[in-house]
Amino acid sequence: MLFYSTTIDGFQMGLCFAILALGVYISYSILDFPDLSVDGTFPLGGVLCTIFMLRLGLPAVPAILLAFFGGLLAGAVTGILHVKFRISNLLAGIIVMTALLSVTLAATKLLTRNGQTTTIFSYRSENLVGLFNGDLAKSIPTGARDYFILGILLVIVILVKIIIDLFLKTKLGYMLRATGSNEKLVVSLGKNAGNYKILGLALANGFVAVAGAIYANLFTQYDNTSGTGKVVLALASVIIGISVFSHIPFFKDTTAVICGALVYSLCLNYLVLVDTNGIYLKLLNAVLFAIILIFNEKTSSLLSRAKLRKGGKGK
Amino acid sequence: MIELQKVHKVFNAATVNEVELFRDFDLHIPRGQFVSVVGSNGSGKTTLLNLISGTISADAGKILLDGADITALPEYKRARRIGRVFQDPSVGTVPDMTITENLSLAENKGKPYFLRLAVSGSAKNRYRELVASLGLGLESRMDVPVGLLSGGQRQALSLIMSTLTPVDLLLLDEHTAALDPKTADLIMELTNRIIREKSITALMVTHNLRYAVEYGDRLLMMHEGKTVLDQADEAKKAISIQNLLSIFNEISIECGN
Repeated sequence: MLFYSTTIDGFQMGLCFAILALGVYISYSILDFPDLSVDGTFPLGGVLCTIFMLRLGLPAVPAILLAFFGGLLAGAVTGILHVKFRISNLLAGIIVMTALLSVTLAATKLLTRNGQTTTIFSYRSENLVGLFNGDLAKSIPTGARDYFILGILLVIVILVKIIIDLFLKTKLGYMLRATGSNEKLVVSLGKNAGNYKILGLALANGFVAVAGAIYANLFTQYDNTSGTGKVVLALASVIIGISVFSHIPFFKDTTAVICGALVYSLCLNYLVLVDTNGIYLKLLNAVLFAIILIFNEKTSSLLSRAKLRKGGKGK
Repeated sequence: MIELQKVHKVFNAATVNEVELFRDFDLHIPRGQFVSVVGSNGSGKTTLLNLISGTISADAGKILLDGADITALPEYKRARRIGRVFQDPSVGTVPDMTITENLSLAENKGKPYFLRLAVSGSAKNRYRELVASLGLGLESRMDVPVGLLSGGQRQALSLIMSTLTPVDLLLLDEHTAALDPKTADLIMELTNRIIREKSITALMVTHNLRYAVEYGDRLLMMHEGKTVLDQADEAKKAISIQNLLSIFNEISIECGN
């Protein structure tokens, strides 16, 4: 029974983190930009969504969309710091992440004025009636409610995946891919590559904020520390996805990234079963990530050797 | 067409390594002329291309394109009218994207890159015919990432990509130097064909004296930031590889090499 609920939990969080990973896929894989501002934009999305729902009384969907724009802005700041002021990519991310820690804290204070608070870092309210506990959800028998939540999450993830896939097929999307792969060519096409970087980072963080907003909805709780470790989690998901699942025929990179997020968060949840005290959890996370990377190194060298033996399609 | 007026360029200014490469450098290339540039390493050939393309900026002087002053224009804005092929075949294409995708990027040059689907069905056929005309057998590999192609194939693709939309000036920066002799010949022949067919003004830097002699309407030899030889049309046709080599040797002896 514990194993069953852990699995369901793992899938729910995995789908939520899949959106996060899809955002990071844009910055890390497409733009080749290791963006650390993710640790800040994830809780930013959560706190914005919570404020819009509780303070402004907006329904969940518009609140999540507004959170997207919040992430968009924060990502653009990272991009502008890097492109216009020539701050290195890692530092630009760190600056924005650090600044957002205060922004989210101030926003939390706005929430906690007259709500039930646990600490100043988190906020929990039964009034946070969102996607997963509204009237529709209440009409579904308790036993099936977990599957209902999974269903909604799946729809959102597929929607985000389709949007990103379509976007990457447009002229603008092509330019983004070209910027990450060969900046000089973008210049020779008469375009300012820096602008595409800013745009890509904004979009990536927009999706990260959406993930944060959905995370807050999922747990009817906003937690200011929820951003910690999200960069690692997202990168792990993207790398596992691209290296393991993108070899499957008809699997696009985006599908592979979703699978990566699911696998990684399932593994994380099972680790909780092993280490019930939670002391070694982060250590186990790191070891798991390392094992996956080592495994990936082995398989990719095997794959390329197999290709060579077949007569080598690629020169 | 393209004109350099009294251009100055100093590298590592105010240090012990200061090198004054160009002083009062003048050059005028009329429309439609195909110019080859030869010269030893450090003679300023590539710097000349970089100054025109805007990769580096001149310390003083003017650069005019069609009479308009482009000296202060950033590289990406100049690129709207200037095409360029580099020595390194990987620079002219996007390695992670397919041949079709690369061509669609190049074809849209000069227009905005908006949220519209990049490759339509009719475009695919057009690109296939275009690639088939190269005679490299690439038309069956349209959906292969360009990074998997050989250097020569990528350079051929770079060449058609840089001239797919009308350009006023084509800069060729030792674009056959990284290829094997046979492929280099093929690319050179293709270059000549494209330049003549589209009557593009072109400036080609090369270390291959044979190409410099056989192709182009005008030949420049550069040495320490100055043109030591500048022959066009009939006078250029009279130059043989032997002549060029002897001038080359004279220069080298002068600087004690």
